[in-house]
Amino acid sequence: MKKRGRGIACMWYPIGFTVAANPSAATVKINTDGTATLLTGTVETGQGALTVLGQIAAETLGIATDDVHVVSADTDATPMDTGAIASRTTYVTGNAIIKAAEQAREILFEAAAPMLSVKPEQLEAHDRKIQVIGFPQQYKTIGEVAHHSEIVIGRPAIGSGSYNPPTVEMDPETGQGKPFSTYVYATQIADVEVDDETGEVEVLRIVAIHDCGTPINPMLVEGQIQGGISMGIGFALQEEILFKDGKQVNPNLTNYIMPTSLDMPELEVDMVDNYDPTGPFGAKGAGEPTAVPTAAAIMNAIYDAVGVRITSLPATSEKVLSAILEQKAA
Amino acid sequence: MATKTKEVLESKVKDSEIEDLTAPDSLKVPAKPALKPVVVPVDKPVVYPLDLPESEIRLRTPAVGQRASRPDGRLHGLGQTQYIDDMTFPHMIFAKILRSEHAHAKILSIDTSEAEAMPGVLATLTGSEIPVNSFGPTLQDQPVLANEIVRHAGDGVAAVAALTEQQASDALTKIKVKYKPLPTVFDPLEAIKDDAPKVHAPRSNIYASKIIKKGDVEKALKESDQVFHKQFKTQMVEHVPLEPHSSVAMWDANGRVTIYSSLGRITLGRDDLARTLGKPMNKIRLVGTIVGGNFGGKNEITTEPILAMLSKKTGRPVKGTFTRGDEFISSTTRHPFVMDYTTGVKKDGQILGRKIRLVLDGGSYCSWTSTTLGKGGILAAGPYNIANLLVEAHAVYTNKTTTGAMRGFGAPQVCFAYESHMDDMAHALGIDPLEMRLRNAFTEGSVSPTGQLLQSVAIKESLQQAAERFGWKESAK
Amino acid sequence: MIVKLKVNGETRSADVPPETTLLKLLREHLNLTGAKLGCDVGDCGTCTVIVDGESVNSCLMLAGRASGREVTTIEGLASSEQLHPLQEKFEELGALQCGFCGPGMIISAKALLDKNPEPTVFEVKDALSGNLCRCTGYTKIIEAILDAGRIMSTAEAKS
Repeated sequence: MKKRGRGIACMWYPIGFTVAANPSAATVKINTDGTATLLTGTVETGQGALTVLGQIAAETLGIATDDVHVVSADTDATPMDTGAIASRTTYVTGNAIIKAAEQAREILFEAAAPMLSVKPEQLEAHDRKIQVIGFPQQYKTIGEVAHHSEIVIGRPAIGSGSYNPPTVEMDPETGQGKPFSTYVYATQIADVEVDDETGEVEVLRIVAIHDCGTPINPMLVEGQIQGGISMGIGFALQEEILFKDGKQVNPNLTNYIMPTSLDMPELEVDMVDNYDPTGPFGAKGAGEPTAVPTAAAIMNAIYDAVGVRITSLPATSEKVLSAILEQKAA
Repeated sequence: MATKTKEVLESKVKDSEIEDLTAPDSLKVPAKPALKPVVVPVDKPVVYPLDLPESEIRLRTPAVGQRASRPDGRLHGLGQTQYIDDMTFPHMIFAKILRSEHAHAKILSIDTSEAEAMPGVLATLTGSEIPVNSFGPTLQDQPVLANEIVRHAGDGVAAVAALTEQQASDALTKIKVKYKPLPTVFDPLEAIKDDAPKVHAPRSNIYASKIIKKGDVEKALKESDQVFHKQFKTQMVEHVPLEPHSSVAMWDANGRVTIYSSLGRITLGRDDLARTLGKPMNKIRLVGTIVGGNFGGKNEITTEPILAMLSKKTGRPVKGTFTRGDEFISSTTRHPFVMDYTTGVKKDGQILGRKIRLVLDGGSYCSWTSTTLGKGGILAAGPYNIANLLVEAHAVYTNKTTTGAMRGFGAPQVCFAYESHMDDMAHALGIDPLEMRLRNAFTEGSVSPTGQLLQSVAIKESLQQAAERFGWKESAK
Repeated sequence: MIVKLKVNGETRSADVPPETTLLKLLREHLNLTGAKLGCDVGDCGTCTVIVDGESVNSCLMLAGRASGREVTTIEGLASSEQLHPLQEKFEELGALQCGFCGPGMIISAKALLDKNPEPTVFEVKDALSGNLCRCTGYTKIIEAILDAGRIMSTAEAKS
């Protein structure tokens, strides 16, 4: 018989390395037509980092996503970056990029100020224009200003910067300290059906609400949540490296079971409305937290459905059935 | 005109001074036949649009918050993204790595002579030829190629470079390695004992420990209305990036090595290469591309120093790509955790104290274990206000696949434990699981397990919004 | 062994050792690196191509068996004017992340939509069941395929 159950799980997860320095550096070059190039040492590993980092640079410079070309991952040409790890890219590299872009932008403000007969501090960059704060009809296009700065005055608009999250060393006896600058939070709720005759668990639906601060690109955050959940489902129900005398028994994709399209439930994902003042435009991160609470939510749903507590993962059908039978016998 | 030149031009050569320049018959070149038109095969290039209008969303300002499409998205869909294995270089050859089948053994000898004589083989490499044969993000306890002891089935012991991948794989079977098996230990709860076989003798198998202590947990447990205890365990899993690890190494005449790699961290990768190859950093260029999935498994060097050495030996670019089998046995995996949770609560569900012990299966080498231990330990108590806390976490060597960084660094494991535990307590106390969490969850300004004042806290909001979207109250039984 | 076949509408040939798979023929001899080598044993689907209208794991097919047949790879979908609707929708919806599974996914989707332009969600999931993806959770991929199908059946209806 198939029994329905629901389970809730929430989590917290840090951004960046544990205490240790994990800086990122960035360089922004503004071209004489107002488009720009961003140099970053990070690596695009599929999560969409380069798109998001380009958006952060574009926002600082007041231009569009497409106006920024991102160059990455070449130790000869791009500045250092601790890497695409620990969900740190949006936050740490993003903050470094803002510093670099602000430095380049300041050169533009200094060039534009006499053109607009104001002081540099009175200017802002918005919608591809350098305009006067509070009186936007007084403006020059960013292209005009960049051209003037480089070609006429002789000051190319280029900037660089770096950022490292502020932490406090943890005490070796008590662990007290400030290991991370910020954390993200999330809740996932799973709706499952358990066949109490076979132990098979089918995940029907998952609702996932994640905090990532400001979502720089909501489409990419959704992608991370959906992908993280698929890893979570694999961790919960299917995946396991099996050993015999220290040798792996299933080092291949035939016998290492992981989620296919048929295993994916209906997903409803969304972000909490939050803003972290320490992050770039309020953003934090999303890469890893998405894979964290799924297994717990599914295990709690299994308990709700058939009253058995699975205490070791994965909850294969054999394990679940065995637990059900044990409970019936008791 | 100069006088001398004029003289020469106007002088006539006497007939008798002219040598007979007519070629003898034997040297005469026969007349060429009329040329036929040559048909040059035309290799048509792949066709794709070059002038598509740019996406409207990407042209909008402000940029933050836009659902902008990714520039690599178009290239992915066209199949044009260049992953490392898609790259070829002139005269490129291929490397494969021989891996130990023993989980723990002393290497007595490695004989590559027969492999070197195999067709297409241009060079072999063993660990003793690598200038500094050790690496690791925290402890440099992992050899690039094991040359004294292998510590897990999958440890690389020798490499071959050949004209084709097949020839390199074939040559691996001819490498003769003599092993002396050593005692093994596979269960971390066994490895933690004093009398267990030592994986990195003479060092203890417990290679990293962390403690977090706050308040007085024993007192809190005594004062609790109820104390709950359970042990939870998680399994070893693999990242399974669809793209296997891959790199290509090549040298130039200035003694600079360029390596294209699927590494997710090139700054650190270059540091590691400088160390292992004994070269200054400015002589090393490491280039990443768009990696076909990382999830933590491509965060440290694997074959790069090996390929660099083979490239130097052969004078050719050398590509090395993991097989899917290599991905499982030789790249890093997620730490299995054994987690003991003891929690004291009041009748109304408020948590007074929590005691946690974590034992991490630290695999054969340290890799990212210290980080996993630290994060796992800090996160283990959950996002809850717990004034009295003790967390003891240990990482233990075993003779199994190296456990390292994998999406979450211990968080999925401890979350499974603390959230299952939370539900157990909620059910026993007759409290709705959502309510139980809301009663204990962090708020802005809460104090974390390490005494940190938390800001930008959104746990309750995520709980409430998820519950509303799901219909939590409506679906209650 | 000379293998002669049609790839993306063009006759191509290569002289390859007899044990060469169709995947290796495409990647190493014909310079079409869209199809990927993820496992080489038919488990992951990154090598998926269409042979005579059916989607096939090219790592499991010997190049010789493809002789005389019509193969479609990811490189054959776009024209000089436009992307294939699948490529358009995958890009617009952010369906791919690392992209490694992309060519195989899109080819499997094309094989489905060419026969059934209005599939159900289950039919899409079923068609993709041999294509593993680790990044995306398949969700946006499925949405993009359903959207592309609608475009293709509207275009079909118009023509």
